[in-house]
Amino acid sequence: MRKTVYLGMSGGVDSSVSAVLLKEQGYRVVGVYMKNWSKDLPGMKCPWAEDLADAKRVAVKLGIDFKVFDFEKDYKQKVVDYMLSEFKKGRTPNPDIMCNQEIKFKLFYEVAREQGADLIATGHYARVGWADTSSEGHPQLLRGRSEEPREDGRDERPEEDCIAPTLLRAVDENKDQTYFLYRISEEALAHTLFPIGDMKKPDVKKLAEEKGLKNAYKKESMGVCFVGDVGMKDFLREYIEEKPGEIREIETEKVLGFHDGAIFYTIGQRHGLNVGGGLPYYVVKKDLEKNIVYVSKNLNEKNLWVDEIELEDLFIRGGLPKSGKIEIRIRHRAPLIPAKFDEGKVILKEKIKRPASGQSIVFYSDDTCLGGGIVK
Amino acid sequence: MIYLDHAAATPLGAKAKKAMEPYFADDFFNPSAPYYPAKKVRAEYESAKDRIAHTIGAKGNDIIITAGATESINLAFTAAAKKVLVLETEHQSVLETAKNFDHKLIKVDKTGLIDLKDFQNKLSSDIELVSISLANNELGTIQPLAEISEIIRKERQNRLKNKNKTPLYLHSDASQALNLIDINVARLGVDLLTINSAKIYGPKGIGALYVAHGVKLKPITFGGGQENGLRSGTENVPLTIGFAAAAEEVKAHLNGNRKHYEKLQKVFKEELKNAQIEPIFLGNKKHQLLNFCPVSFPGIDAERIIYKLEDKEIYLSTGAACAASKGEKSHVLKAIGLTDAEIAGSFRISFGALNSESDVKTAAKEISSAIKEELNRMRGEDA
Repeated sequence: MRKTVYLGMSGGVDSSVSAVLLKEQGYRVVGVYMKNWSKDLPGMKCPWAEDLADAKRVAVKLGIDFKVFDFEKDYKQKVVDYMLSEFKKGRTPNPDIMCNQEIKFKLFYEVAREQGADLIATGHYARVGWADTSSEGHPQLLRGRSEEPREDGRDERPEEDCIAPTLLRAVDENKDQTYFLYRISEEALAHTLFPIGDMKKPDVKKLAEEKGLKNAYKKESMGVCFVGDVGMKDFLREYIEEKPGEIREIETEKVLGFHDGAIFYTIGQRHGLNVGGGLPYYVVKKDLEKNIVYVSKNLNEKNLWVDEIELEDLFIRGGLPKSGKIEIRIRHRAPLIPAKFDEGKVILKEKIKRPASGQSIVFYSDDTCLGGGIVK
Repeated sequence: MIYLDHAAATPLGAKAKKAMEPYFADDFFNPSAPYYPAKKVRAEYESAKDRIAHTIGAKGNDIIITAGATESINLAFTAAAKKVLVLETEHQSVLETAKNFDHKLIKVDKTGLIDLKDFQNKLSSDIELVSISLANNELGTIQPLAEISEIIRKERQNRLKNKNKTPLYLHSDASQALNLIDINVARLGVDLLTINSAKIYGPKGIGALYVAHGVKLKPITFGGGQENGLRSGTENVPLTIGFAAAAEEVKAHLNGNRKHYEKLQKVFKEELKNAQIEPIFLGNKKHQLLNFCPVSFPGIDAERIIYKLEDKEIYLSTGAACAASKGEKSHVLKAIGLTDAEIAGSFRISFGALNSESDVKTAAKEISSAIKEELNRMRGEDA
């Protein structure tokens, strides 16, 4: 019997092409627009209705069913409120990771399954592989890397026992989105298809044109859609009161200027200090209690560099390699850095610029995204 | 292309386009400047205002040129200080403006016609402004403005009798109506009337507000004191001249247009009826703009049909463009008591100068077959 796939559609080219591929692979495809946010912000109209129309237009052109899942309440609670509370603690959270964990690969997955979906799919650049868990230690990858696409439902669970789904990096290294996906549950992953995970972006675009979708979609969905054009700081201002305080030079304690709220600043940030003149200043420390932002001109300032990163809220799928040797990514599209994970800490050979607390460090072993944790 | 959304926008007519042209680059002068070419531009601007005003039975001095219907409506509402009364099916520009006041909504019946009893009940002695469109922008339902103004007149008499000095004005948004109804402000009995160039084959971004003598408005922009001090800012000469040409053009062809649209209606409706897809025609058969043909197919998702027909270059719309782009259900269709399924399956179809009989016949055929396809698809999915 034909399997049913609920595909998250944003109106962008990636999810649109995913719909084409799934349909060609013989699935019964149901396009779903997840309505997560619709509030306009000062100076920016939330484009959700246009996005919805674009997604629906593609669904209609492909002759597939289309639904809207209203997740606004959950998104506000689980993503936006989390994000605001993290910022209020002086941390720098990643809402996209939270959105994937709580909304796209949890709520969407659950509702889709309730409505009869066998599988879910999204237009992310990532792949699902299957690993053997029968032997002890780190699972051995059975399937996944650069295989020829299968005619019928690639990425679907193979017949073997003792296997577990693994998240694999996309074929297109520039587009790989596993950094945002590292916290999705094994159960969801086992029922997820990433139809464009083994395609390169230019080929995705080409296929969209070939299929006559060129005019059907408009833009690519970018990160947190609702902060898109205004930027995070302007978004935060809507929810967090400004609280003027001092900017001090860390070496001299000299007051260099004033800021509008320490929580709007991130360690390592070099813009927007309004202190002007000469070499740029970097934020090196925040004293939230006294509401003081410390800056320095010294790029070697000790607060800016680390070779050990303490993590919390770890999320690991299927265990780590026995050696503890992994590679890490500290940000989407950042280069992979060799590291060791030991007793809750990532240990690096060379110092790197300190990732802000609240950010995610994601672990890799070859193509496999093992999971990761949040900087303490 | 078969364009069936003239209630949303009309293409610029040839005469209006030609009339405007010299005033962008050649006769570009500021009408307030002292030298002769500027004086000439001033004269031509004033004459354009006169010509616009004449199409509604008014004089140039009685109208304020604005940037379109929304601005006219906002300006009209400055006549009130506290309390206003508006029809529940008004355009967003009226409803949103009314929200700045203590406001009440007047009910409509199932055809979109004003409930005159409800109106009389709600017309308390402290209401300062009543706003009722001449024709609804989704249904084309034409309101009995003469009757409405008679009720207003009586209320004014009452107030005088009771020594109540609260003024009472009637504003009407006639944006959709100017090319189909022979409008005369005195006959309608309105104090304020909004007209719009964009819906009558004139340029977009220009409109006017008729203001009867004795109606006191407050300025919305401050500066050089243009437009009787109500709307400061250098006059938009080319667009006003384009507006005038368009207004005269539609006025000259009122009767011909009516006959043409009547014929289109007949062809279109018959074609749909014969297709066995059970259309429900909306609005008021007797009191409806002749170019409007709102119709619902309950159970169908109208948006899907719209996207399907795009490929065939047939363009139609669901409710008002502004509401649809915000993903909201039409408040007009809700007000006339349609069910959710009837709303989801409804189209606002509005004919115009671009349509021929064979166009609307083709469109009706394509709509019917797209609907049949959808019905088949839905049956397949259920199985």
